[in-house]
Amino acid sequence: MSLDSSRSANSGPQNSKRSFNSNSSNNKDNSSNSKKRKSNQKTLGMAWGANSLSTSRSSFRSSPYSDFGSYMVEKNRKLQNQFDAEASNSSLSDTSTKPIFRGVSIFVDGFTVPSSQELRRYMLNYGGRFENYFSRHRVTHIICSNLPDSKIKNIRSFSGGLPVVKPTWVLDSVAVNRLLSWVPYQLDQLASNQPTLSTFFTSKISPASEGVFTDAICEVKHGTEDLCLKDASKDAKFSEAGEPSEWRKKITEEHDELMHGNTNSKVIEEPSSSYSEASQEVKVVERSNLVQDDESRENNRPQYCPEQPSASVSSHCFDNHSVKESPHSTALGPLKQCHSTLGDPNFVENYFKNSRLHFIGTWRNRYRKRFPSLPNGFKCMNSHSDVSADTQKTAIIHIDMDCFFVSVVIRSHPELHDKPVAVCHSDNPKGTAEISSANYPARDYGIRAGMFVRDAKALCTHLVILPYNFEAYEEVADQFYNILHKYCNRVQAVSCDEAFLDVTDLEGEDPKLLASAIRKEIFEATGCTASAGIAVNMLMAHLATRTAKPNGQCYISPERCFSHLQVDEYLDQLPLKALPGIGHVLEEKLKNRNVRTCGQLRMISKGSLQKDFGFKTGEMLWNYSRGVDNRLVGTIQESKSVGAEVNWGIRFRDLQDTQHFLLDLCKEVSLRLQGCGVQGRTFTLKIKKRRKDAGEPAKYMGCGDCENLSHSTTVPLATDDVEVLQRITKQLFGFFHVDVKDIRGVGLQVSRLESVDTSKQVLERNSLKSWLMSASASSEERCDVSSIAKDRVGTVIVFIKLRYALYCQAKNFHCCTPTTNTEGKSMGGNSGVLCTDPVGNSVLRTNNTSNGDGCSNQILSIPQLCHLDMGVVESLPSELQSELNEMYGGKLVDLIAKSKGQGENSTGSLCFHPPELSKVAIEEAERSHNSDPISLSRTAVEMMLSSIVFPVGMMTLCSPIICAENVFCFIIDIILFVVPKGKQHILEELQTVPDSGTGFNSNAISIQALDNNDLMPSSLSQVDTSVLQQLPEELRADLFESLPAHRRQEISTLGPNRDNLHHPLCINQPESTDSGLTNNLWIGNPPLWVDKFKVSNLLMLRFFADMYYKSKSAENLSSILQCTIAESLHPLDAKCDAWNEAVHSFNELLMEYIKLKIVVDIEEIYVCFRLLRRLSTKSEFFLEVYNLVFPHLQASVDENYGGNLHIP
Amino acid sequence: MERKDNQSPRGHIAGILVEFLEVAITSVVFLKGIYSPGAFERRRYMNVVVQRARHPQLRDYIHSAVSGLLPFIEKGLVERVAVIFFNTDNIPVERFMFKLTVNQSFDSKVEESDLEFSLRSFLIKLSVSQPLTKVLPCDCRWEITAYFRSLPQVRNSKDTELWISTDTKQWQQPPLITPIKSMNSEPLGVQLFLEHPSPSEPKS
Repeated sequence: MSLDSSRSANSGPQNSKRSFNSNSSNNKDNSSNSKKRKSNQKTLGMAWGANSLSTSRSSFRSSPYSDFGSYMVEKNRKLQNQFDAEASNSSLSDTSTKPIFRGVSIFVDGFTVPSSQELRRYMLNYGGRFENYFSRHRVTHIICSNLPDSKIKNIRSFSGGLPVVKPTWVLDSVAVNRLLSWVPYQLDQLASNQPTLSTFFTSKISPASEGVFTDAICEVKHGTEDLCLKDASKDAKFSEAGEPSEWRKKITEEHDELMHGNTNSKVIEEPSSSYSEASQEVKVVERSNLVQDDESRENNRPQYCPEQPSASVSSHCFDNHSVKESPHSTALGPLKQCHSTLGDPNFVENYFKNSRLHFIGTWRNRYRKRFPSLPNGFKCMNSHSDVSADTQKTAIIHIDMDCFFVSVVIRSHPELHDKPVAVCHSDNPKGTAEISSANYPARDYGIRAGMFVRDAKALCTHLVILPYNFEAYEEVADQFYNILHKYCNRVQAVSCDEAFLDVTDLEGEDPKLLASAIRKEIFEATGCTASAGIAVNMLMAHLATRTAKPNGQCYISPERCFSHLQVDEYLDQLPLKALPGIGHVLEEKLKNRNVRTCGQLRMISKGSLQKDFGFKTGEMLWNYSRGVDNRLVGTIQESKSVGAEVNWGIRFRDLQDTQHFLLDLCKEVSLRLQGCGVQGRTFTLKIKKRRKDAGEPAKYMGCGDCENLSHSTTVPLATDDVEVLQRITKQLFGFFHVDVKDIRGVGLQVSRLESVDTSKQVLERNSLKSWLMSASASSEERCDVSSIAKDRVGTVIVFIKLRYALYCQAKNFHCCTPTTNTEGKSMGGNSGVLCTDPVGNSVLRTNNTSNGDGCSNQILSIPQLCHLDMGVVESLPSELQSELNEMYGGKLVDLIAKSKGQGENSTGSLCFHPPELSKVAIEEAERSHNSDPISLSRTAVEMMLSSIVFPVGMMTLCSPIICAENVFCFIIDIILFVVPKGKQHILEELQTVPDSGTGFNSNAISIQALDNNDLMPSSLSQVDTSVLQQLPEELRADLFESLPAHRRQEISTLGPNRDNLHHPLCINQPESTDSGLTNNLWIGNPPLWVDKFKVSNLLMLRFFADMYYKSKSAENLSSILQCTIAESLHPLDAKCDAWNEAVHSFNELLMEYIKLKIVVDIEEIYVCFRLLRRLSTKSEFFLEVYNLVFPHLQASVDENYGGNLHIP
Repeated sequence: MERKDNQSPRGHIAGILVEFLEVAITSVVFLKGIYSPGAFERRRYMNVVVQRARHPQLRDYIHSAVSGLLPFIEKGLVERVAVIFFNTDNIPVERFMFKLTVNQSFDSKVEESDLEFSLRSFLIKLSVSQPLTKVLPCDCRWEITAYFRSLPQVRNSKDTELWISTDTKQWQQPPLITPIKSMNSEPLGVQLFLEHPSPSEPKS
């Protein structure tokens, strides 16, 4: 020590400087020095100067050391001494800390949170060591949050085999005041890196060695019925070239493989046509509708593939397999194209026939349809269970059938009861099919689900293999649930053979007795046994069942449950896999952290779990490991996405094949959506593209080494319509720019699901269809039927909605009525008729649209009965219907009845004349104006607005074709003509501040425009601003936009005007008022422009809107532009009519963005324009935009920063 | 580090800002390489590596200049703080502009870690923005200039007298701006950009 100091003292005059700046190397003064330093630091800020131990090796200074090595040795020693001194100081000052890190010596690598200095402080205080320089001998743990890829790859040479741990290890250890095991804190990058490698190798090796293809073709997505489709079909040239017999050999072999990959598919070979025809078919038939309820099956049957008796199919299949076993290698021959999407034109329609997974997956829909009233029942009871949870008297029964799939099949074979039996789709002697379920005698032999028949038979030679019997499964499952619902009305179905019952309410009964009664009845009814677990929560009940099996029941008493020792004991040894919600992936992840039992899991902090596995999963793990489960019986997890994916046998020749396949896929997805009773808004198309260097995959017709590409888009209205799906899919597919020959897998997934009240949907369809039908029937003279409820003022926005809807329909836009309609008064949205006062007299009015050439004569007569549209009439409220009926002398009722019986086959095309419609509205408005005294009720206005909003919303969102201006004209007309009449009334009704009504008087509302042929108001001052304010933001913005340019300046006068109003319902944000509504393109989430661009004619703009969804931080234009650059855009530049318009709107977008960002974030603007500049070299479109907006940019930069932006 | 807790949030913000400016200005000076690298040493600030001047005069100049700004920043008077590099003719060659916006009405507790996160990105970006800057002529000179929204009232306080009004030469033409970093984390907004004379600037 003294040597050190004397040496440094000797090192010359520079040394004084050195010690001035850096930590003193003089140990004698160490304590006083460090104190001084600390006081210095306070003025300078925390780390500013704190403990920077590395003195720079100034080049001008002659080193006293012979070489670098000796210098470092010296330095390290000094650092160590220094650390010791500091440590002794700090531990002296704080006696409460115990040296938990004794023997631990950390080295901090790179940026960490908390910083290395803080970690050093912990080490100081808790008896550990901190190394500034890595040394294999002194360091025990490496702390880091992040490692570069090179270090990960070379982890050994980097770490020298030492543990690489996250800094939270130190923090958590300090928090619990003892040294925790570092294993759970191992760096994620490492933890996740190792296992993936190992799994990669094992999965590669096993198929090679065993000749087994385990590639998962079938993915079951989380919470979805997303099963894969597969198809197999053959290329023509193969059959021509190959010899039939040999070829047949191969085919069988391939079938076998196919069945490997997916235990639930069956192969049908069309025996006659296969070998002679140019295009031969081998169909993998799977049908998704298998378990849909009878009604929908009835509906689907005619449209989709004809049903074939499954027994014959399977037997045929077995025959095929028993023909021969061919060596594995033949399947890997050079001609691989024989099974593909190419040959089979109907392949998607033949699917999922005998899929067990699909049976389970779709079973829930079926169940829900059987017990539709349940969700409501749960709702009211949930609150009750919250209360009862406090009293800790909840009793949950978990009931599970014993080896369901086997016992159902063997119940008719009593002789098999004691024999080992397994269920498998095929009893092929080759034995490479997978066992799906085995009974208990078989399990005793070690036979498990997922095992190959061959292996199982090796374990138990007399194993009986039986095929599925889906009818029986359905039947038993139904019986099972009937019994459960008989005993208890709070049933949560987990699967077709497993359910939770909440029997808390059944206080009189002992849950144990109840469980035995249920089990007894199940056995009597179905001949199958069930096991039950009873406990206080779902988790414990589930675990109890586990111990109860087979055919028993287990009761974990509340006392036991809540005395933690008992539960802990029980859980401690429980393997993680037993916990519900922990699947392979999670288990694997935990295994990598050396967590195998609940007891081990409990050692990990909640925060750490949540950090590693996500908030919810982390919490779930933490709770479950402690036997805590807060789930309520009856909370059914909704599926988050529905989709279908095919990754096997995809080979396309040309675009046409692809389109055909996509159509089939869309049909399938649409069916699944309808099956689940949901509609989706976001559509993701996934494509597996063969990597350039990848050859034919080792697995026959498999996808091989692929790049996964995906594009997604979100539409404003949820849909399940095939045509919409198809359109979207086509569009999405267009984004990929891949060679169709390289495609190896296609998947379509629908997310952002919204549930559809199916009955409503049906109603809507009916009315739409009948409307279409009647419209086409009277194509020459169309009737617009409106019902006017005219009390004082009848305000009617009739048929517009419907007509818009129809229009959209005619243009292949699926439309759906808004699910939430204001006050629900527009009758579920499908009537299109708004009625203000049901008691008022209705006037039926027709407008002959064929002479819609500007003639606005009022026709107030009853139209002929045949001209009435039944769709509208039917959806009228019953009072109106009866009134109408009176007018027609009772004939209407018959007609309605008749129309209801009519089929749904006709689809007419309708053209739409918005101006005419608006004229109708004008007339009505006029009329209402003439009739005095006028007072528009509040509801009338609101309903009007809501009904306006709807078609407009639909217009702007759905249809790029409709000339949007017409709608806006129309709205303004309404605003102009209808609302003013009721103005005073609205004031009273709507305004909470009574005296602010004076503000309205300034808005002179002119009715002159009545005579004006131009439907657009000449000035916005004519528009009642109070109405404008009621409109939703987007609509308002659109409205202003649609104003002709020369009128636009008048908007600005509107701004301050509005400010004076103090309207309680003012929706406007202050910013948008300030800027005179110019910044409206960036308002909203997603911003307005996205929707605008999405419906644009120009591909470029649509593409750009799509980029919005692709980019991660979408509120920044720069990230969207970045995305645009990243995506290849080649053919977008085609000039078209809308070119100038598109340039203009893009320009507009940029201008507004500049305005938005120039003051606060010039960097963003700068980045955007640099990106634009780059884009402009690629695309003429962007060049034009760039040149157009650049002067504007410079002007605003100059205004705000007094300079010009320098864009290199 | 332990700032007084009784400070108002605004004063707190100003304190952080001043501290940050000191570090950032030092980094700028280091970046421009006016002094030899040996005049600086590596330190850690906000958990990133930064430079600190070793020469006491240099350090004091920067420190006193920015800490002298503190009262003005607290009042919201300071619009920009510039680090200006001059050639031998005292004509600016390059200016580093810190444009400050402190929301005066902001009065709630500031989340220091958020601010730190944003400010850290400045320091990181600054350390890699060498290519954006111009090579300085030799024998150049630099100074710290602050642009005020209005001229402060002259007071006899010790703090304020450090700052004097300046007649630094300005460019005739609007300069070329190259943004380096912007951040806007309520209530503090800082933008850093470079200014260079425009090509049309008359050469003297």
